[in-house]
Amino acid sequence: MRSEIHKGRIDWALAGAVLGLVTIGTISILSAASPLPNASSIVQRHVMALLVGVLAFSFGAGFNYQIFQDQSKTLYALTLAMMVAVLIVGVNIRGHKAWIRLPYFTFQPSELARICTVLVLANYLDRNSTRIESPNAVLGAFGVMLPVIALIILEPDFSSTAAFFPVLIAMLFCAGASLAHLAIVVGFGGTAAVSLLLWTLLAVRPGLAGGSRILGFFYAVSRSSMKLALIVAGVFVLAYLLYRLFIMLRMQMPLGVFMAGAIVVSAGFVSASAVNRRIKDYQRNRFLAFLAPETDPQEAAYNVNQALVAIGSGGVVGKGVFAGTQSRLGFLPERHTDFIYSVIGEEMGFVGTGLVLGLYLIMLWRIFAAGRIARDRYGYLVCVGIASTFGFYAFVNIGMNLGLVPVAGIPLPLISYGGSSLVVSLWALGVVLNIYSKRYAFF
Amino acid sequence: MAAPSRDALQSRLSVLSVFFYLGICVLAARLLQVQVVKNVYYSAAAERNRTQLIRQTAPRGRIFDRSGGEIAANQAVFSLIYLPSKERDSQSLPAVARDLAPYLKEDPEKLLENLYKAVREQSAIRLAEKLPSKAMFKLSELRTIYPGVLLIRESRRSYPNGAFAAHLMGHMGKMDEASWRRLKNQGYRVDSWVGRAGIEKIFEQDLRGQDGGMRMEVDARGRLRRTLGDIPPKPGSNITLTIDSRLQKVAEDVLRKSTSKAGAIVALDPRNGDVLVLASIPDFDPSWFLLPDEEDAPINLKNIPAFNLAIQGSFPPGSTFKIVSGAAILNEGKISPEERTFCPGYFELGSRVQLCWYHAGHKWQNFLQAVTNSCDVYFYKMGLKAGGDLIERYEKMFRIGQPTLIGLPGESKGHAFGPGTRAAQKRSWYDGDTINVSIGQGELLVTPIQMAVLMGAVANGGTFYRPHFVQKIQYADRPPFERVPEELGRVTLKDSTWTLLKSSLEDVVRVGTGGKVNTPGLVIGGKTGTAQNPGKDHAWFVGYAGKPGEAPSLALAVLVQFGGHGSDAATPVARDFIRAAFAPPVVETAVPAAPVAEQQPLPMRGPGAVPVLIH
Repeated sequence: MRSEIHKGRIDWALAGAVLGLVTIGTISILSAASPLPNASSIVQRHVMALLVGVLAFSFGAGFNYQIFQDQSKTLYALTLAMMVAVLIVGVNIRGHKAWIRLPYFTFQPSELARICTVLVLANYLDRNSTRIESPNAVLGAFGVMLPVIALIILEPDFSSTAAFFPVLIAMLFCAGASLAHLAIVVGFGGTAAVSLLLWTLLAVRPGLAGGSRILGFFYAVSRSSMKLALIVAGVFVLAYLLYRLFIMLRMQMPLGVFMAGAIVVSAGFVSASAVNRRIKDYQRNRFLAFLAPETDPQEAAYNVNQALVAIGSGGVVGKGVFAGTQSRLGFLPERHTDFIYSVIGEEMGFVGTGLVLGLYLIMLWRIFAAGRIARDRYGYLVCVGIASTFGFYAFVNIGMNLGLVPVAGIPLPLISYGGSSLVVSLWALGVVLNIYSKRYAFF
Repeated sequence: MAAPSRDALQSRLSVLSVFFYLGICVLAARLLQVQVVKNVYYSAAAERNRTQLIRQTAPRGRIFDRSGGEIAANQAVFSLIYLPSKERDSQSLPAVARDLAPYLKEDPEKLLENLYKAVREQSAIRLAEKLPSKAMFKLSELRTIYPGVLLIRESRRSYPNGAFAAHLMGHMGKMDEASWRRLKNQGYRVDSWVGRAGIEKIFEQDLRGQDGGMRMEVDARGRLRRTLGDIPPKPGSNITLTIDSRLQKVAEDVLRKSTSKAGAIVALDPRNGDVLVLASIPDFDPSWFLLPDEEDAPINLKNIPAFNLAIQGSFPPGSTFKIVSGAAILNEGKISPEERTFCPGYFELGSRVQLCWYHAGHKWQNFLQAVTNSCDVYFYKMGLKAGGDLIERYEKMFRIGQPTLIGLPGESKGHAFGPGTRAAQKRSWYDGDTINVSIGQGELLVTPIQMAVLMGAVANGGTFYRPHFVQKIQYADRPPFERVPEELGRVTLKDSTWTLLKSSLEDVVRVGTGGKVNTPGLVIGGKTGTAQNPGKDHAWFVGYAGKPGEAPSLALAVLVQFGGHGSDAATPVARDFIRAAFAPPVVETAVPAAPVAEQQPLPMRGPGAVPVLIH
């Protein structure tokens, strides 16, 4: 860390990684878009976004990041105003009222809100650092985030909404929140969300449970109080057994901890079950539409399969840029946006996909490094938030391309086609660069 | 409360970063699995995605007779394909439709509709299949005028001889439900044609060859992008049969001219088991099945006479069985061939009276005379002397009740009859059964192919060859298959028995019931028979023929279904066939004077047909 201090003001490794990702993204967008009828408009928009992005990057890098903390209230108000505006004057594209049409281009405020929320939350957590271990601080952080995600969910955009939570958890964790509180939030929210998601998916696609007895039983639980009680009892027994196990391992912890864990998990389970039973079928379908926008589950399965075929057929060195059959012949869906990683996989092979992963690794490493040596806690938290956002988005998107994560409308940062996302991402990275350049002080 | 220390926060940051780095490792591992380990699998999937084959049917293997004449061949036919292209405008389509319609015998409106559909969907369509060569000539001119119109050469099965060896050849047919389930994993398509019966079915895998085609690149909507290349079809393997076309034709003709126009002729080479003729009438023309429209066939294709009398029809052998019972009587030495017995025209067994077919009685008969005249009374008496067990043993030796293993589906194995088979049914054997079996009645059943193989064994001195109809299969990728004679078994009789048996059979033809078959310049041995039937009786003639001083070169069994008496109905058919077989080109010789037996007043019933009277 000391060595970092003596480097120059600009983190060339971060800048290089960003340049690399944007370059790969541009090449893949050119390749993926070229067979499309509106190719020229896509390329024009992308080039324009690149230009604006460079400006945004310079703006972020050149502008003292502390001003975002000073003007945090204004930033928060602007963010909310923007999200309200999109609901009023926004353009509805494919069922999402997420775009504001301005002269020459359209703009997606939720992309900007993503980063603004990180900045606002960083301020909140910094101001509350002395009482960060109290439950109120955790609840307060959720309170700050709630209006933003409530407005996004109205668009409706479930995937973007869901992506806020892991970022918030990561920021709380790195701000020093009590592990017990985090465990309760993650345990309750995780159990409830996962159960609800799984039940919904199982209700719509019974085939999923086909091979697995455990999944089948799990689905049955959502319909029967007896089985639910059985599961809850099982959770408590398991907690007690874990308690005994820990004693045997000479890592004695109070029984209360285990029982609290059991209560949290059971509560999540029971509340999910309660919600699940009250959900009407049309509501369930709507929920599903949140989960998999513009696609029915079968189509989603087809898309993932075609993505896997594209990536897998690329092999080690790929079929060559502009030569991917899956992508160019239209087998690959959403190929310049959500599934662009598959285009890279097909045309540039493992060399390309590995390079992208490597560049993301460098990028995250550099953002974390900037956080470590930031001059104040605010800068540190901003870095954590931005790194978590990029890391989570990249993981979910690549995981979706590789069939590891359910299909969700999450773009691949710096690579997917999408002007707002690119510009805002570059601005955020500019902010990180600024934090890095202002590192000569300690808090 | 104090804010957490910098070090405390830093260590939390480290934990968080490790989470992300682990996530990246998981993705990298998955990438390795998908892109490196399973690359071949996914590459194949991508290739299947993007290519479509416009199929070009391979020429089916040809089928030849023993002298190289074509029995089943291929006819060149052409399929017309239209490949739409983005650059080509649809202005010219009405002209294309107008010009093509007359050659395709199709309504221009409908054709135009198809063309528009092809353009709309940007996919190739097959406008017409199996066009004759005549239409092709004109169409190839049009092809130069209208790009996108494409002719591909395909093959269609043809049977130059029409209705010829139909039961053996079988026929082709469209894929049905059952064949599809069986064949769908072997490169067939729902619209493939497959052999549905006979050789076409048995050797389907050898005959089919490998379809070729044009590989086209298509996009996700199935629209055509470009042609990737041609895969030439690989023709199927040619098969040479042991069948002699000329004899087969003669056999079918003489059967069609027979009294009942129904029956079977099986002719073998007794020296090796080559099937020279396998004829069954009524028959059908396999090319009926190739007509574009089933309605065009002269009869409903579901009702074709598919029953192959030669191998599926089992009939009582009648007096032809006296060859077996005679061998049993003679060979065991129980009866001297010179021993004479008196035939008064009937035989009393307890309270039953069994008649001889010749009601006036044959008077004193020795073995030679009894066979020549087909005297039933002689065989009743001698059969009783020899006993049912002995006769059954000889049935087994002569392979009655056992399939000949010719390798055609549905072969009947006939039925052996004796004390042993009775015991297996838990029923008793009586002397009445013994006298029945002695003259080939009772529950005995044989097929024409069995009798032909049996006569082959008599002709060659006891060797039962497995009858076979395939001489050679020429594969493209491995050495040809060539059939070698295969022995099924051997009957060992004393030389004196063979000599006597054969001379008795030759007497049958020279002066006995088979006199009509007699042909100067040939040595023919044989036996007539009449198979009892609730309706009209079936007529048998079984025998062998050869040039004097040479080993017999022909063994045959003739069955005229519902023909009546063997000596009347089967012998003229056998005569015409044997003469044609040995005298190329066919020379009509004067029919020799009818022998003694035939000059007798016409019997009420044929030889061997014995009414059982119960007092």
